[in-house]
Amino acid sequence: MDAPVDSSAPTPRIRRKLTVAAITALAFATTLMTLAGVADAQGDRVRKLVLISGAQAADPQEFQAAQLIAQEWRKLGLEVEVRGLPRPQVSDIVWYNRDKWDVTMWRMVGRPERSDPDELVYNLFHSTTREKGFNFVGYLNPEYDKIAEAQRSEIDQAKRKVLVHSAQDMIMADAPYLFLVYPKNVVAYNSGVWRKDTIVDQSGIGVRNFWTFIGTTPVGNQKDMVLNSAEAMNAINPLYISGAIDSWVTDLVWDRLMRVGPDGLPKPWAAESVVYVDGTTVDVKLRPGMSWHDGKPLTVDDVVYSFEAPAGDKSPMYKPFVANIAGMEKVDDQTIRFKLKAPNASFFTSTLAKINLIPKHIWEPILSAQLQGKTAESYQEQLPIGSGPFKVVRFKLQEEILLERNAAHWSAPKMDRWILRIVTNTEAAVGMLKRGEVNFLSDYRGDPKVLEDLTKADSSIELAATVDMGFRFVAPNLRRPPFDDVNFRKALMLAINRNLMAQAAWNGYAVPANSHVSAALPFWHKGEQFAPNLEEAKKILEKGGYKLVGGKLHYPDGKRETLSSLN
Amino acid sequence: MQLILPRLAQMLFVLWVVATLLFCMFRLMPGDPTVAYIDSTFTEDQIQQLRKTFGLDRPLPEQYLIYLRNLLVGEFGDSFHHRRPVLEMLGSVLPNTIILTLSGLLVAYAFGTAVGAWLAWKRGTWVEAVTIPTVLTLRAAPEFWLGMVLLALFGFKLGWFPSGGANSPGALFPNEWSRIASQDFLWHLVLPAATLALYLQGLPLLLMRSNMLDVMGEDFITMARMKGLSSWSIVIRHGARNALLPVATAFALGFGASIGGNVVVETVFSWPGLGKLLVNSVAASDYPVAQGAFFIITVVLVSMNFVADLLYSVLDPRVSHGQRR
Repeated sequence: MDAPVDSSAPTPRIRRKLTVAAITALAFATTLMTLAGVADAQGDRVRKLVLISGAQAADPQEFQAAQLIAQEWRKLGLEVEVRGLPRPQVSDIVWYNRDKWDVTMWRMVGRPERSDPDELVYNLFHSTTREKGFNFVGYLNPEYDKIAEAQRSEIDQAKRKVLVHSAQDMIMADAPYLFLVYPKNVVAYNSGVWRKDTIVDQSGIGVRNFWTFIGTTPVGNQKDMVLNSAEAMNAINPLYISGAIDSWVTDLVWDRLMRVGPDGLPKPWAAESVVYVDGTTVDVKLRPGMSWHDGKPLTVDDVVYSFEAPAGDKSPMYKPFVANIAGMEKVDDQTIRFKLKAPNASFFTSTLAKINLIPKHIWEPILSAQLQGKTAESYQEQLPIGSGPFKVVRFKLQEEILLERNAAHWSAPKMDRWILRIVTNTEAAVGMLKRGEVNFLSDYRGDPKVLEDLTKADSSIELAATVDMGFRFVAPNLRRPPFDDVNFRKALMLAINRNLMAQAAWNGYAVPANSHVSAALPFWHKGEQFAPNLEEAKKILEKGGYKLVGGKLHYPDGKRETLSSLN
Repeated sequence: MQLILPRLAQMLFVLWVVATLLFCMFRLMPGDPTVAYIDSTFTEDQIQQLRKTFGLDRPLPEQYLIYLRNLLVGEFGDSFHHRRPVLEMLGSVLPNTIILTLSGLLVAYAFGTAVGAWLAWKRGTWVEAVTIPTVLTLRAAPEFWLGMVLLALFGFKLGWFPSGGANSPGALFPNEWSRIASQDFLWHLVLPAATLALYLQGLPLLLMRSNMLDVMGEDFITMARMKGLSSWSIVIRHGARNALLPVATAFALGFGASIGGNVVVETVFSWPGLGKLLVNSVAASDYPVAQGAFFIITVVLVSMNFVADLLYSVLDPRVSHGQRR
């Protein structure tokens, strides 16, 4: 601002006028230049992209994969930094600061209720979950919304399958996720203790599952199953979804009307039969003669109560699973009629096979009086009472959970006791398996190769690897350029070699992934061959208008870089 | 009494400072306790509900006052994750930790003082040339490595001791005392306590040795010699008693320091203890448990410091608390 103010020393007023004029002229000139330049101005160089990953020590596989991916992306002319962060910090950025990050490694975990594709098909990409829910990448496609809604209310399985397939096609075309692998679950057990032919491999879950625990038969006198968990338990509570390991226990202690079977499909469990009367009416006939662990009979009233309890505000985590129930009716002493608000294809899996049956005589007084404003999650029974095939004998959440068989159950387990040990040292857990201190290695997070060697050295140790229904992927932030451009995302996707990921990062204990509906769910999964192709990736970028200048990738002409890299 | 009161006031002040630091530290850490729930099927309303339950929706100064008031009445609150009272959770692991720490320390100090005194006597011989480097190596070796070596040798290979835990799978006891007094518990205690002892023995040993060397050069030892006392009497009654003083202090402080610092041994041997609980709760942003655990550790540390001071004046009348000043 010094140019117009010269030595002639005008009055302050003139000086101000001059200054204003000068600024206006300058601004005008700049605008003109910019406008003139737009037509042929080269796009800005794409900023440095930060690929977020779990810390190397906490998740070596993910970190390794991120390094390999960054290497390929650099070949496209991008500057990529891999940043390993502690898990809570990753969640904090990705989940709560949705416009701050560029791209992150992410995972969806497998759970029995996810064997129905609804949760993943709907929640991951529906626009309603974009702001705060599961659609953290910010995918927005009204067409997809329609399909996701349609498959939810389609009860005819064949028609629904067509819808689920087209949902997968759409995701493949739009590439809001860059899929990597379906990891394999690796567990090992001692076949000298447990008969190999009685171990059940549940689709998408593996051999560590409910059906193995109630069905496996001891070979000899050792009738206690000793398992391991690498982390402490949080709680044993039928109204609290407190963690993956905790759910192994709740599964065994509390019955449910239906259960997801080894084939991934729901089947009647505490119910003798489940029938659709019409699209929104379901009749459930209860199995006769059931009782609680304290000896009291399990009645229709208990069942109705079990579905009513989460509907209030006392069990927020289970509330979504009963939200579609309009009402329940006691038809007779064995039968309950569910009236639904809308037809729901996943009602069996996500409601009937999800809600734990709880004794009314225990929980009603607790929920109505004792809690005083707190939720059911804050209550821990001294001795949890369910009706399931196992009874709780004792539990120390940091140390050991001890269950014993419920001989009165209609499907009583073959083993005597089920003992879950908290073993924080992975090597020690393997040593324990070798020495027989543990006979079912249920939680193994180390290198699968170590277990493989162990099975070679000791013929009684069996290794079981099952493709998980969860998956690993790279999540681009669709809210931020250049990730808002489908061409850019596709190029990134093509540059990733998924076979290499499975082999090099996951040591062969994974299969390449191509859809958000896992290959572990063969009925719903749409398989499609996929080959990495760096040349094709470069072509797509070129077609999309991106240019390489001095080996660095630039945006299409006229496009400015408006964002800065994550700090 | 007049001597102890100011010391007590000092202790309380230290505790208040630590409590305040703890409060600030956990609230400055990145991440929110609700973040740990990410992969569950939570809606935004549910997350807000959670924050309210935890009291995280209130202004920080208010949270601080509530926190201080609760500490005063010994109320540590409920764990965010386990939804259990913090005191109950600490109580369930504290006996294990205290026993592990005490047995490790006692073995380390008994061994350390005896061998230290002996080495002072053997100064300049080949015994010293062999023992000192060995002791230093053990002292410098990482704890987890020592633990793994013991585990691999006596657990996996020889099978003399179990590979982890505080009790055998499914072992049932009528009460906590009978559990701790059981042979099963002792059998599980051996390897972790031995690891801890090996790790801790260096300090008392070297301390004892150098103290002994100092003391043996003092006038009163010469005096004792002139009186014609036996060398046994000189070493034990005159030398060792005086040389033990700093070792006693180190023991008291060591107890305070190791009570929360056993994370490594606890993890290697899957020993359900305070250190592991602490690490888990910090990782999960479980403020109440982490605060409670740190606070307990501070209380133990500060009171052990106090005990060490008192012990000193009992053991050595020359040290008194400002009486003669």
